[in-house]
Amino acid sequence: TRLAEGTPRRSIHLSNIVEQRIFNDNEIISTPKRTRSKLTDEVVDADYTPKKSIQKTPTRARRSSTTKQPSVTKQKEQAPLTPSQKLKKIRSGELSPSMVQREQPVDDRRKSQLQLAREQLHVSVVPKSLPCREKEFDNIYSFLEGKIQDQCGGCMYVSGVPGTGKTATVTGVIRTLQHLVEKDELPAFDFLEINGMRLTEPRQAYVQIYKQLTGKTVSWEHAHTLLEKRFTTPAPRRVTTVLLVDELDILCNRRQDVVYNLLDWPTKSAARLVVVTIANTMDLPERLLMGKVTSRLGLTRLTFQPYTHKQLQEIVTARLAGSEAFKGEAVQLVARKVAAVSGDARRALDICRRATEIADTADAQPGGIKCVTMLHVQQALAEMIASAKVQAIKNCSRLEQIFLQAVAAEVTRTGVEETTFMGVYTQIETIAAFMGVTLPAPGRALHLCSKLGAERLIISEHSRHDLYQKILLNVSADDIHYALRVEAN
Amino acid sequence: MHDSVQEITKTRRFLKERLQRDYTTVRGYESERNNVRQLLQRTAEMGESNSLLLIGPRGAGKTTLINAVLTDLLENKSFVDNTLIVHLDGNLHTDDRIALKSITVQMRLENAADGKVFGSFAENLAFLLQCLKAGDKKSKSVVFVLEEFDLFCTHHNQTLLYNLFDVSQSAQAPICVLGVTCRLDVIELLEKRVKSRFSHRQVFLFPSANKFEEYVSLFQHLISIPSSTELQADADRIDSLQLFKSEAFTFQRNHFDGVEYNFNSKHVENWNRNIGKVIKTPAAQKTLQMLYDFDISEAFLKTFIFRVVAQLKADAPHITVEQLTALGAQYECDDKVELLCGLSVLELCLLIAIKHHSSIYDRDPFNFEIIFARFSKFAKVSSTMQGVERAIVLKAFEHLRIVELIMPLSSIGLGKVQKEFEMHKMALTYGQIQQAVQRYQALPTEVAQWAQSSLI
Repeated sequence: TRLAEGTPRRSIHLSNIVEQRIFNDNEIISTPKRTRSKLTDEVVDADYTPKKSIQKTPTRARRSSTTKQPSVTKQKEQAPLTPSQKLKKIRSGELSPSMVQREQPVDDRRKSQLQLAREQLHVSVVPKSLPCREKEFDNIYSFLEGKIQDQCGGCMYVSGVPGTGKTATVTGVIRTLQHLVEKDELPAFDFLEINGMRLTEPRQAYVQIYKQLTGKTVSWEHAHTLLEKRFTTPAPRRVTTVLLVDELDILCNRRQDVVYNLLDWPTKSAARLVVVTIANTMDLPERLLMGKVTSRLGLTRLTFQPYTHKQLQEIVTARLAGSEAFKGEAVQLVARKVAAVSGDARRALDICRRATEIADTADAQPGGIKCVTMLHVQQALAEMIASAKVQAIKNCSRLEQIFLQAVAAEVTRTGVEETTFMGVYTQIETIAAFMGVTLPAPGRALHLCSKLGAERLIISEHSRHDLYQKILLNVSADDIHYALRVEAN
Repeated sequence: MHDSVQEITKTRRFLKERLQRDYTTVRGYESERNNVRQLLQRTAEMGESNSLLLIGPRGAGKTTLINAVLTDLLENKSFVDNTLIVHLDGNLHTDDRIALKSITVQMRLENAADGKVFGSFAENLAFLLQCLKAGDKKSKSVVFVLEEFDLFCTHHNQTLLYNLFDVSQSAQAPICVLGVTCRLDVIELLEKRVKSRFSHRQVFLFPSANKFEEYVSLFQHLISIPSSTELQADADRIDSLQLFKSEAFTFQRNHFDGVEYNFNSKHVENWNRNIGKVIKTPAAQKTLQMLYDFDISEAFLKTFIFRVVAQLKADAPHITVEQLTALGAQYECDDKVELLCGLSVLELCLLIAIKHHSSIYDRDPFNFEIIFARFSKFAKVSSTMQGVERAIVLKAFEHLRIVELIMPLSSIGLGKVQKEFEMHKMALTYGQIQQAVQRYQALPTEVAQWAQSSLI
């Protein structure tokens, strides 16, 4: 009935099988039809074992095309994978993910000195040896090398504020060790790496670890049992596994079963697992983790101090490596400013990069060579560190400015930080009368209030509280006075 | 005669469409625009990874700026061929799960087919990260535009932001993360590690029409008809929009296209001369000054102009000063007073009683019994309110509550307290009640007198 009239006999059989199988899965076809086609199915089935993938194509278009084409096997080979087949391949690790390639490759030639410097200064360009982290490097290196040589398991906890080179140092150590393995100076080891922030929930850690071991994606329960089996049962010729756990605090849930397992496996003699954990806070084990987990984490700890201005300067000049794009004092200014705030290397590099951009757009100096000077760095610093609140207040409309003044006046009057809209409105009445402005109706003043609240110059409640909503000033009163007085002059 | 009617209809349609559907024209912001443009260009051409935050008050033209920059960039082929644009909105993509599916679809990854994404949330995240990791300088640049960026900061653990910023700071596929938000303190919402990975480039957009003269000229520009050469230039710019390959930016389908309109040159001259004349009058200046004092954003001005333009008719073919003043007055008036004038005399009497109570007891809360007693004192001696029953007054009280002129103190005590005894507060200023009493049509003199003094 579904088939085209006048098709050859053979193809009728074929398509019957195909259809029958499809609908068997979906249970759409009525029973009598199914029994009838089952007969034919049994007859021809022996010849058509490779049709497995075609059964999985539930689209109507594909089905009709199979009826038209007599040779189904040929078509199957040419047909692109259906999404569910692809998913299966992705799960089994056969299909590697890829990005769309660009049509014109990036042209590396004819780059100016500034452009080269900018590329070198990008955070993603990690140098082979990290400057100013030699001591930490040695520390981690000797720990890991010792554990690999002795073929035992262990734990280490590395902490420090973001941007102090924790992950870069650890991966640098691993790279050096892998290099040694290639030269046969060290027994071979596996390296696995997970990041707490790249997981949707802590238990996905099992899935990611198992995936890096075998390439397959399975459910976390399954991955857990498989890993448990791998690490607890002794096996001869097992190589040491080094596991790097980044952002450890995200893996801590209430039950802490994931962290416990990750730190418990190294204690098993069969595991030969070395775990290096990285987090931001120094006292995370004591503050967040349970006693048994802290005890397993051990006391091999390392803290990365924030960079001082000398170190930051060294890092930047090492990146620039002989290039004359930067003036010496410009680098020093960046280093001193960043070291005073956070000691974050990423921040220093980003500011330097922004300075090169500013220098690029600025007019060429009389010498002809473009070079980053103090002025460019100062502009970059102003852009990236300074706050724009004063600027925002200056750019408010007149009534908005009056509103802000009124909030500040009400705070001074009552002496408490928190004011209500009604009090502010009385102040607006006063100020408007004093300045000779027409008074906005309360409804319009509420509009001003929510507009300032959206910008977060003030913090206000929902407008349904009407006259009784509470208002907090989110900028300092001095900022308001400064912005409005300077404008008046 | 018929011709001029047609011309008016055309003018009205032209102006309305330009006000509403011109998504890519941005005025001012030269340096900011160059900054964003160069950043995107470097991402596309040199394969640099970047991140940027675009911050400015509501109605300042943040989205328009991005649209304009993209329209500019689409003219050169090297940008179109080498970039994918992924557009996310914090209002639509309310959690990372939805956002991730949308990214997968818009990047056309292997686990997406016809807008359907296969696999669980964890699998999607892992797959996206693998894809980006597999990429390098040879792969296409991806531009992520995150509108309402502050809402993405409320997602669990800020996983999406961490991962996007992390990719932009490591040697993977070149991406550019462009956040758009109106919150000035958005950086403080980021977690420490996310903040460290963000490159701290912030572009602030404050409406540059900070001088009243600029505001007036903007008004004139928005309401006058441009010459046909200008229209043609605009249309050429819009043509490149057809190259948009991202489904998220659908505005090109419905974009304003000025070329369809060809005006009679005499009519254009007439129209523009009239506009120039109207703007110079002090009354129009005063109205504009009033708008400018209230809100300097272009969006606010546009809604005003839309209302002006909508009043164009065949028998009133020109914009007049009177129209501007009348519309301006509409913006100034108080809606609550309008609402008060629509109440019955009984309800107004209750409000006056509430006002008396409030002014005597310094805005203490009240309930029905208190107000009814105060009202009864007045009703007994008045000649108009004598026969009013308690049930009717209660009904009027409830009506006041429903229109939210009075509000209950707390929503929790609803079931516990009888409705006559529930405490309320008044959501009006005394000035509003006074205005309403003055403006009320045919208010009995007794009530007006009672409103003046609380003594009977």
